[in-house]
Amino acid sequence: MTLTENLFENLRLELRRGCLTLAVLAQLRQERYGYTLRKALADDGLVIDESTLYPLLRRLEAQGLLASEWREEEKRNKRFYRLTPDGEQIFAQLLQEWHAINASIQATLNTSSNSTL
Amino acid sequence: MELLDRYLEAVRKHLPWQRQDDIVAELRANLEAQLEEKEAALGRPLTQAEAEAWLKQLGSPMLMAAPYQPQQYLIGPAIFPIYRNVMKIAITWCAIIYTIATATTLLIKTPHLADFFHALLNVPMILITTAAWVTLVFAALEYAMTHHRVKVPGLNAPAPAWSPATLPQLDPGAFPGSKPPSYAKAVAELAFGYFFLIWLLLIPKHPYLLLGPGAYYLASLPYRLAPVWVPAYWCVVALNVLQVGWYAYSLIRGRWQKPQRAAHLVLKAVGLVPIILLLTAKDHATVLLKNPALDQARLGATLNGINQSINWSVALICAIAGFQLVLGIAKLILNAYRKRAAAVV
Repeated sequence: MTLTENLFENLRLELRRGCLTLAVLAQLRQERYGYTLRKALADDGLVIDESTLYPLLRRLEAQGLLASEWREEEKRNKRFYRLTPDGEQIFAQLLQEWHAINASIQATLNTSSNSTL
Repeated sequence: MELLDRYLEAVRKHLPWQRQDDIVAELRANLEAQLEEKEAALGRPLTQAEAEAWLKQLGSPMLMAAPYQPQQYLIGPAIFPIYRNVMKIAITWCAIIYTIATATTLLIKTPHLADFFHALLNVPMILITTAAWVTLVFAALEYAMTHHRVKVPGLNAPAPAWSPATLPQLDPGAFPGSKPPSYAKAVAELAFGYFFLIWLLLIPKHPYLLLGPGAYYLASLPYRLAPVWVPAYWCVVALNVLQVGWYAYSLIRGRWQKPQRAAHLVLKAVGLVPIILLLTAKDHATVLLKNPALDQARLGATLNGINQSINWSVALICAIAGFQLVLGIAKLILNAYRKRAAAVV
């Protein structure tokens, strides 16, 4: 990997990190267990490694944003996660922030492209 | 599937011990679901090679387990800037104190080359020990803050209390926008230097110019200055002649507005000569008895005490002046290096 590619990869991961949390919270408005969550995210175009997603779920649960319970489904015990009321509130705030950031970046890009024309 | 069991057992070894069973159970449920889906898609169980490829894709057991460990910094980003500042201050002061203490000790006793090298070799160990203690204290602080939610005053404040008025003054002439010394100031420096030189030259014949009425009292004492003061005195005179000459040269050539760090360093270096002359006086005797045959028995002990005190004081001055010189040289080199680096960029 060249220096530029390496730099891009680091910046890409940094950019993705915050978005992953938002995407996971968005998915967990509906109850899911780890594997189906990963599949749902991948179906929406956000592929996440197992070693990233499952520990992230634990961290979000420890922070009080998610609640989990073990339940049997298809003859197998699975841990299901869903948003807590605090998680819902924080998700709404994060989503608002994300929209604001997106709008700002878009406005900056529009200004830049207008000034170059 | 045996390979998956072995994989999960290997992951378990790297997990936090309190949550091993819970995490492994969850991983197992998720991975078995994934495996089932793969096998359903193929319509057959995975072969050994396919299973190995799949597990390899998941990552090594250590890599899989690592994100489950709590994030722990030795010194976290919240206190790292403070740590770096404290480290700088501690290392600087440690170096200053050690240099002064060692130089004083070496100069008081008859110094040997071996003592000097021994003192020099001790420097890295002393600095490393200081750095280790600072790091240890901050690591303990970080641990207390993260594990016991200790609130440290100042660290959790919205912004550290500071005022722009307390910002340090700029080094005159060091920055393009700063005000250079005026012509009047340069003339005043030359005039002051000249009158100081005259005053200095008058002192041997008129000691009251230095000591006031105390000169008459000292003349009545049974002590006199040792001959080593004569060359030391003329060195001081020569230093001042050099300084006045430099001021005059700068004024004539119109260079008084330019920073003259190198010239100041040369003057500082020359200023060390009379101090070293006094330090290397024979038997460290800078004061003698006027009539040794008469007063040695009575005043010998007092004389030794006086000489020892003078020697200690001069050694301390020498250490401080030496340190200032080294610091000045280091700053000069650093500035040259910065300019060179800036030119390259």
